[in-house]
Amino acid sequence: MKVSKSDCVFGAIAAASGLLCFWLGGVGAVRAALGHAGGLLILVLPQLAAGLLIGGLVQELVDREKVSRLLGTQSGLVGLSLATAAGMVTPGGPFTSFPLVYALWIAGADAGALIAYVAAWALIGLNRLIVWELPFMGADFTVLRFVVCLPLPLIAGLIARWLVQVTPLKLREVPGE
Amino acid sequence: MIWIVTGIWLVTGALAVWVHRRQGKAGLRRSGGFAVSQGRALALRLPLAMLAASFLAQALPIEHIASVIGPQSGLIGIVLAAGLGGFMPGGPMTSFPIALIVYEGGAGTPQIVALLAGWSIFAMHRVLAYEAPIMGWAFVALRMSACAVLPVLAGLFAQAALAVSEGLQIGPAIF
Repeated sequence: MKVSKSDCVFGAIAAASGLLCFWLGGVGAVRAALGHAGGLLILVLPQLAAGLLIGGLVQELVDREKVSRLLGTQSGLVGLSLATAAGMVTPGGPFTSFPLVYALWIAGADAGALIAYVAAWALIGLNRLIVWELPFMGADFTVLRFVVCLPLPLIAGLIARWLVQVTPLKLREVPGE
Repeated sequence: MIWIVTGIWLVTGALAVWVHRRQGKAGLRRSGGFAVSQGRALALRLPLAMLAASFLAQALPIEHIASVIGPQSGLIGIVLAAGLGGFMPGGPMTSFPIALIVYEGGAGTPQIVALLAGWSIFAMHRVLAYEAPIMGWAFVALRMSACAVLPVLAGLFAQAALAVSEGLQIGPAIF
């Protein structure tokens, strides 16, 4: 297997946080963290595999022209609203949503739409709201948080489009072209 | 948990049937190729990232923050909570229990809204484990900048909503 530069960065971060964990919590904390990471990996792998396949399949299904018309730079507020709605209903964890973001990026969605999508999925994703927030935080709190967060993905998308125009922050070229 | 996995695979299966109908075997082969090449790129990175997130979850002191972000802490508390949320490690299975502990420990409602929004948006474990490996650091930088003010906005909106609807009492759910 080829070890890339980015793999080395992740290795270094894991080693540094491991040392910090050992320094603050001793062998017990390190052992607990190892068990947690192992369990998490087993839990996540079947979902990640499905997420990657969904990313690949969606690329075959979506029509590039349609995506860039609906979610491209010229798509305006309608594009951002569509991206927000899509993010809200995307089920599953980051292992399913990010392969999908990648697929939309390749298909021609612009930075504003992609970021509105990620923000909506993260902030007001219905899946997590129902599965996690409702049972833990109660209905009153969940409704309040949902309502105040509803307009935020649009704001993030607008800020992203503005940043791309006035600052050096940009998406790199679409890979694999 | 099982039904989530089953549901995701059902969606995957349905999409595969759809692709097969429209593009035949070649379409399925291209989809599989994309998944395998992405998976290969993640094979080493993902376990390392999960290891790092788990180490951090053990090392950070979580219970002591409630007092700092109480209901009277206002904008400063909201900003602090939003920042703290970004450093809250782990997925929803660890973050919501932590948020509830902090809430019951005496943190204010707008501050907890900001905390959870900060966690949703910045969650460094998610950035390290999925976003950076899949989308690249340029995307991460742009998204972080565009989303930087959102958790604070969420906290302020929540504070305003609570102030407008006087008498609306929202506190930690009692079990």
